[in-house]
Parts: sequence; structure tokens; C-alpha cells
Amino acid sequence: MKSAALVVAILAALVCVIVTALHASPALLGGFAALCAAGVAVAAGAAAVDLRAPDDLTELRHMRGPTSAPPLPDDVLSRRGVFGRLWWLTFASFGLLAVVPLIALGRRPRRTGTAWFKGARLVTPQGRPLKADDLVVGAVETVFPEGKTESPESAALLVRVENDRLQLPAGRGDWARQGNVAYSKVCTHAGCPVALYRKASHELYCPCHQSVFDVLGGAKPVSGPATRALPQLALDVDRDGYLIARGDFTDPVGPDEWWRTI
Amino acid sequence: MITRRIGRFFDERLGSNAWARTAFAKIYPDHWSFYLGEFALYCFIVLVGTGIWLTFVFDATEAGAFDSVVALGRGEPIGYFMRQVHHWSAVVFIAAIIVHMGRIFFTAAYRKPREINWVIGILMLMLASITGFTGYSLPDDALSGTGLRIADSVLMSIPFVGGWAAGVLNGGSYPGPLLIPHLYTFHVYYLPVSIAGLLAVHLALLVYQKHTQFVRDAAHVVGRRFWPDYALRTLAAFFATVAVVFVLGTLIEINPIEQYGRYRDYVITNPATPDWYAGWLDGALRLGPAIEWKIFGHPIPAIFWPGIVLPGLTFALVVAWPWIDKFLTGRDVATDVLVPASAAPWRVGFGAALITAGVVLTLAASDDQQARTLHVKVTALVWLYRILFAFGSVAVGFIAALFARELRARYDERGKEAERVVALVRTEKGGFEEEKPAAEPATPL
Repeated sequence: MKSAALVVAILAALVCVIVTALHASPALLGGFAALCAAGVAVAAGAAAVDLRAPDDLTELRHMRGPTSAPPLPDDVLSRRGVFGRLWWLTFASFGLLAVVPLIALGRRPRRTGTAWFKGARLVTPQGRPLKADDLVVGAVETVFPEGKTESPESAALLVRVENDRLQLPAGRGDWARQGNVAYSKVCTHAGCPVALYRKASHELYCPCHQSVFDVLGGAKPVSGPATRALPQLALDVDRDGYLIARGDFTDPVGPDEWWRTI
Repeated sequence: MITRRIGRFFDERLGSNAWARTAFAKIYPDHWSFYLGEFALYCFIVLVGTGIWLTFVFDATEAGAFDSVVALGRGEPIGYFMRQVHHWSAVVFIAAIIVHMGRIFFTAAYRKPREINWVIGILMLMLASITGFTGYSLPDDALSGTGLRIADSVLMSIPFVGGWAAGVLNGGSYPGPLLIPHLYTFHVYYLPVSIAGLLAVHLALLVYQKHTQFVRDAAHVVGRRFWPDYALRTLAAFFATVAVVFVLGTLIEINPIEQYGRYRDYVITNPATPDWYAGWLDGALRLGPAIEWKIFGHPIPAIFWPGIVLPGLTFALVVAWPWIDKFLTGRDVATDVLVPASAAPWRVGFGAALITAGVVLTLAASDDQQARTLHVKVTALVWLYRILFAFGSVAVGFIAALFARELRARYDERGKEAERVVALVRTEKGGFEEEKPAAEPATPL
């Protein structure tokens, strides 16, 4: 049994080398590698059982502690005396000094808005500009400002809904064009792309933590863990009929943080 | 012959034979559950081995990471095999650590004098989870990139210092050009080296303090000799672990990033769930209430509570557990004898409650998929899991404690029955008398 298992292991190891040399499939390589390991495991296990060694051998336990004497005799580093105290203070100061390089490491440029600007055409990730009639009602498209596709934090979702069903918040009545509304695609909960749209209920849905946003009502969160609406992009149409942005998002894009004032 | 010569070489220079004789003859208590930690150790060895190989083919740059991992899957079979085995070992590694920890917990092996090793073990679990997460994120695919974005958001949610912490990691705003190189350095250097160092201390303390045992002989270690008996067993455990992760790596495809595509901050997979060990955190983010508080006009984002406070408190609780145990039992003596889990129903109850809470959070991490399969609303599942998390865990803990109490009662009954068997001893006068049963040692809590 033991020897047979070892022979299997040796043969399997040889086959592994051959399989690798022949560029054969990963399944063959993995299978024989596993067989090799299993062979050794069986051989070692069988050998251990065959030993029939006793499992009640004993050895004295020694208590490891406590010992009676303190580790150090009184010395210069003890807290007594001015010199001793200064030592500890010096160590503490050095620790404090380490904070300086740490702070420098985390310097993070303040986010100064997204790549959207006044008059920027809405283009697909492939760079194709969109007209107000390009999307049928119920359709959705990821859009970027023209010339700045794939800019971080700048992805927006253009959704076409029935124009008369929109109930945008006060002051945003003219932010839509022929039922086209655009919202930031970055979830305000944890920053995932809000990638799913359920057209029957006009809801945007984040696949990460299931926050749901109401497209008709200004992308306010209706369920899930998000607390803030997706920022809306004010839309217009330029002379050639293409959809454009009337400026950057007015609300901060993405999840909140301590330093972000809303 | 050759081993003898090598042995002599070192013995002549270091006098190592005396030391080796002691080491080979050392007695180790034996029980199947003592191998759980070894499985974790052997997974770590497989991880280091496959990991070193992978460093030679992985391109740790923002531009090249994804392509180099995809190329690995399409090139030589060995590349696909190494990556699969590496990922599977990580998954099994963390599972083995947690099961090992469960054994330590329920047999109260963490008590004095072994609190240090308990804390080191928890630290290694945290480091292993972070190492797993950084490794999972390195290919820069759509799924893991989104996970990183969530981690970045969670870091940023920490009041006052969050933005700074996220800035350190990213080398700027998310996703900084240095993110992949930073993760890589952590994944292949700081984290595994820290684990290796802690592991060395963990094992050294195990040898120095000697292993715990179920046999109630406080004065002796009772078990098997290291050589050859225990050595063969642990060798079998090593190769069995290797065989298992090889089989998993060969048969079950894990993290097929070429199907997810490269990460862009506007692309995501659906469903989006992390590796199993991060599931409880993702589940917590899904169950967390949609409440944002403001302090002096500064927001405390909703994700701060499930993302930072919950895991922080959990780990603090687990790290402090030996001292909580000491406080509850008032017991401050060093002990080497393990208790059967049923000896302390309150401990069983607490452990069962904690496990249930973790399982509920992990299940919650795929609530959208369950909702789709079961044709129920996600919001209904969210509420179900919230209730199960808060009350179900307590209920399960209570029931488990009752079970343990019942088991302990039966155990005590059996002891009484055994006492009815009377052993006879010869008296000095030549007659017989009943042998006095030795006093049953008090059941330790």
C-alpha cells in the first residue's frame, strides 16, 4: 500500500513534467500534480498508521512562569530621576516625528469637480455624440463629456423617459430635454457604477449594494443603503441638435466623506 | 548515509545532535482537531510557492496588470494552474484559519498562558484577509476594481483622517496611478512577511509553551513522539492539503477575470460579490441603514458604521476574548488541559451567536442573487437578514447553549454510572475491599 502509493506519486510527477513539456491542458497537469501529492499523503498516512506507535507517551510539563526576579536591575533608563524621564520623553518625541512623513504620504489632491463643462457634448464611451432623439424611450446610455471619455468620476447615465412623467425637484424643471435626463453614474453610497436600469419602474439600480434611485424624481434614493440622490447633469441641445451639458454637476459626485461639504 | 554526513557536519560545528535528539523525541498531544492549524500553515506554504512563481509573470503596473493575468490564462497550462492554485489556496487558507480558531475557542485553549498566541492568531487572520483582498484586486479587472473602489470609499468614510488614509493607499485620488504598485508591494512584501514573522512566533510559542491536550494530566504532555510518528502524520497533512488545493484549482475555475474585463470606473459586473471571506463586510454594507449623520457640518457617511465600526468592534471583541473569559469566570490560573466544548454552555452560546452573525452577513452579500432565484424582493431579504443578524444570532446562541447544557448533563450522568462499577483491592488481612474511586477532577469552565 505504502510503496504502491509512492510509485503512483513518482509516476504522476513524471507525467507532470511530460505534460508541461507537451503544453497539454491545465486539467492534465493539475490532475497529475494532485495525484502526486495525494500519493505521498496516502503513503505517509499509511506509514504513520503502520507504526502502531503509542499515543500516550508522556513528557514533563514545566511551568514557564512567573519567575521571581525582575528582568533588569535598576539602571539609567528607569523612570527615576530627570535623566531617566528625559530618555522616555525622547523616545516619545521620535515616535511623534514619525507622524510627519506619514502625513506627507497621504496628501491627496482635492477633487475639483468632474470633467463636465458648459457646452460639452454628451458622447458614448466610444466618443459618438448623441442627439435628443437617439435614445428611444426606456433606453439608457453611459455618457462622457466630449473629448474626455473615461475621465474619472465623470461617467453619467443618459436615460430617456416619457417627458410628461418627469417630476424633477424644484428648480430643475428645464434640466431635461425631450425626456432625456442625465445623472452621475457613481453611486453616492460606496462609489460603484450604478449600472442597471429597470425601465418599468424607472429605477436605477446599483449591483453592489442594491441602492435604488428614482429616475423620474431627480434620482433620489428610494431603497437600499444610499442616503443621497445621484447628482443630476443639466442638459441642453446645441445648434446641431446634439445634447450638451449646461455645466458640471452642481452636487458632489460619489460617496461622502468628512471633508466634503454638501 | 548522506543525511548522516550532513548531520555530522552540523554536529561538529554546532553540537546540533543533542538539540536534534531532544527535538525529535519531543512529545506532541494528538487529536484530529489539532491538524486544523496545520492545514492553514500548509496553505500558506503553497501560497508562498505559487506566489513566488507568479511574481515572474505578473506585470505590476496600472497599464499591464490585467493583460499579464489574462495572458497567463491563455498561455502555458502551468500559468493557469499556478494562478488557480494560488487563488484557491488563499480561499482555503482563510477558511482553515477560521476553523482552527473555532477549535481554539470552543475548547478554551486561548486561556492563560496562551493569550499571546490567540492574539497573534487573530492578527494573522486579519493580515491573511487583507493579503487575500489585495491579491484578488491585483489583476485590475472590473469586479475587483469595483471592490477596491468600495474599500476606498469605506476608508474615506473615516471621520477626519479617512481622506488621508485613502490618499496613502492610492498615491492620490482614486484610482491613482500608483494603486496597483502599492497593492503589489503590500501583497508580495509587507503582508506576507508580517504573516511569516508572526507565524514563526506562533509556532515557537507553541513549542516553548507545549501544546494543550484533552488528557487530564496537568503535570505531563501526553501524546506522540515527533519522530517518526508525528512527523509522518504532519507530512501526510501537508501533502493532503496540497492535493486538495491542486484538485480545487484544476476542477473549479475561480475568478475568471477575462470574462469580467478590464476595470474602468464606469463598468461593473452583475452580480458583484467578493471572495467568501470578504462577504461578511459586503453583506454588512448591504444591510447597513441609510442614515447619514452630520457632526459640525461634516458628514459621517452611512458606510462608516458597517464598513469600519462593525469590523473594528468585532476584531476588538475577539482579541479581547481571553480577558473577557477571565473576567466572566474569575479564573486566572495557567492551564494546559482543554475542556470539552460542552463544559461551558455560555461559551458555546457566544461562539454560536458570533458564527451565526457572520454567516448571516455573508449570506446577505448575495441577497440580490437570492432574490432573483427565489422571486422575492431584495428589500424583503434585507429586512430578513437584519432581523436574523440582530435576533437570529442571539436565538441560535441560546439554543446552542441549551444543547451544550444538555450534553454536559448527559456527560455527568455517564460519569455517575461508571462509578457503580466497583473495583476490588486486596486488604492487608487477605480479604477484599472496595477501591475508593479517585476524586473526579472538577469540570473546568
